[in-house]
Amino acid sequence: MSKPELKPVPQIQKIIAVLWPSFIIAGMATVGFFTFFDPVQLLHLEVSNEAAYSTGFFIFWLLTLSSSLLTLYFQLPTHYIPPPPIIDQSPDDL
Amino acid sequence: MKQAKNTQTVSVDDVQQTLYAKRQKIHPRKVSGLFAKLKVTSVLVLLGIFYIFPWLQWDGKQAVLFDLPARQFHIFGLTFWPQDFIYLAFLLIIAGLSLFFFTALAGRLWCGFACPQTVWTEVFLWMERMVEGDRPQRIKLDQSPLNARKFRLKATKHTLWIVFSLFTGFTFIGYFTPIHDLLDRLYPFSLGGWEAFWLFFYGFATYGNAGWMREQVCTYMCPYARFQSAMFDKDTMIIAYDEARGEPRGSRKRGVDYKEKGLGACIDCTMCVQVCPTGIDIRNGLQYQCISCSACIDICNDVMDKMGYAKGLIRYTTEHSLEGKEVHILRPRIFVYGGFLLFLLGLLIYAIGIRNPIQLDVIRDRASLYRETSQGLIENVYVIKAINKDSVPHTFELTASGIEGLKVVLDREIAVDAGSVLDVPISLVVNPNYLTDRATTISFKLTAKDNPELSNEEEARFLGPNYR
Repeated sequence: MSKPELKPVPQIQKIIAVLWPSFIIAGMATVGFFTFFDPVQLLHLEVSNEAAYSTGFFIFWLLTLSSSLLTLYFQLPTHYIPPPPIIDQSPDDL
Repeated sequence: MKQAKNTQTVSVDDVQQTLYAKRQKIHPRKVSGLFAKLKVTSVLVLLGIFYIFPWLQWDGKQAVLFDLPARQFHIFGLTFWPQDFIYLAFLLIIAGLSLFFFTALAGRLWCGFACPQTVWTEVFLWMERMVEGDRPQRIKLDQSPLNARKFRLKATKHTLWIVFSLFTGFTFIGYFTPIHDLLDRLYPFSLGGWEAFWLFFYGFATYGNAGWMREQVCTYMCPYARFQSAMFDKDTMIIAYDEARGEPRGSRKRGVDYKEKGLGACIDCTMCVQVCPTGIDIRNGLQYQCISCSACIDICNDVMDKMGYAKGLIRYTTEHSLEGKEVHILRPRIFVYGGFLLFLLGLLIYAIGIRNPIQLDVIRDRASLYRETSQGLIENVYVIKAINKDSVPHTFELTASGIEGLKVVLDREIAVDAGSVLDVPISLVVNPNYLTDRATTISFKLTAKDNPELSNEEEARFLGPNYR
């Protein structure tokens, strides 16, 4: 039995494939990073921790998002399907 | 997972159409029955936990609070600090392994009954049904042109959804900011910028995922749905249509001997397709989209009852049992997953059990190496951080050892509240006659005065002049 063919990837799946994995990884990175670094001690900034965590999350998301976008971009096909080869014919065949 | 058994070949035209055609909206029909009841119970329990927990109090404080500004997690009297990150990591590994274990044993139970996506979608569907009616009415409404009635129904539904989503967002941030305080600041509205942002962000995510995205979340967004097939084998519990009994399907009148007509038990009423929240036909075999919600089991059992046939044309079963082979529940996979799970669970409980609620950090004063006092003693200055992770306040006694006659000079009591840190500047003095080296390793010990068993030690260095 031959393997059934899969449908091509719909647009929504591509959008999700960029936004969603980057979101998850950014969330994990945020938790990991701020577990070890207290933003107040790290930056000596007059910002609340909430603002620091939130900004940190969005910076992480921006990074992971760019990576996901590039992955998607580099997945675009690069080669044209070559036209069928020209077969010699003689005028008698026509 | 295996693909549909009787997949037709897809022509180029079909592909073009699916590429550009909008997703078919799914209108699941209402189901009642054993599994529907189980699901309602599960929804009530899980959402109950989510919406009620932030309101619970423990020792006069919010019982479950992930206090980000203070960098502390409070969970029923236990306080976790960034230093306790290892427990969180443990917990996540255990959660992952339990998913492996239960998937191998019982298939996608998680998807059908416990996943937040399922649980919230169920509530949103319930609101949708309340406003717009069941499947046939909803399909008719969606197909009808926009008129006053359609507008009214849609507006009511979305208002309900949005209010519920905002309440969900509010509850969510209530896990991070004390919720009673949050409630007070709701009217007149005076939430902080980020609080408001996350309230709307989470609310919007709920509205989008449970109202609009629904099964697409499972199909496109869920990593578990993609890799769960790796944990499946032929003895894993799945929901399946009994092809041998059902086929050939076909309509017939009640009371007709279908076997005589050469038909199987399936009357082809398509109810199993109508109730499916992911819009698949379970009769096509095991499919990646199936979230094992058992709606088709309930409805098919109803139909079988009405026809006077035996129940279970669609049922929880295993591939082996469908093929008439022996079913093995206890198999190596189960023992491996189960063994790891028990081991890690034990380790976590043990680790939390022996967790020392007292922590001590010593920071040397960097400004000076040492000082000679007017009495000719050598003095070193430190800041000690006394961390009390216990749920009750403690007063501590600080001692130092490592050099004969080492004395702690301290001008106040080390009284630390429950779940707090106290920085105490202290100095150590010693008679220089007892100093043998320029730098000596010494040890601080912090002991609770009310319970000598609560103590912790930390090493530091004591510097002095070079005598020899």
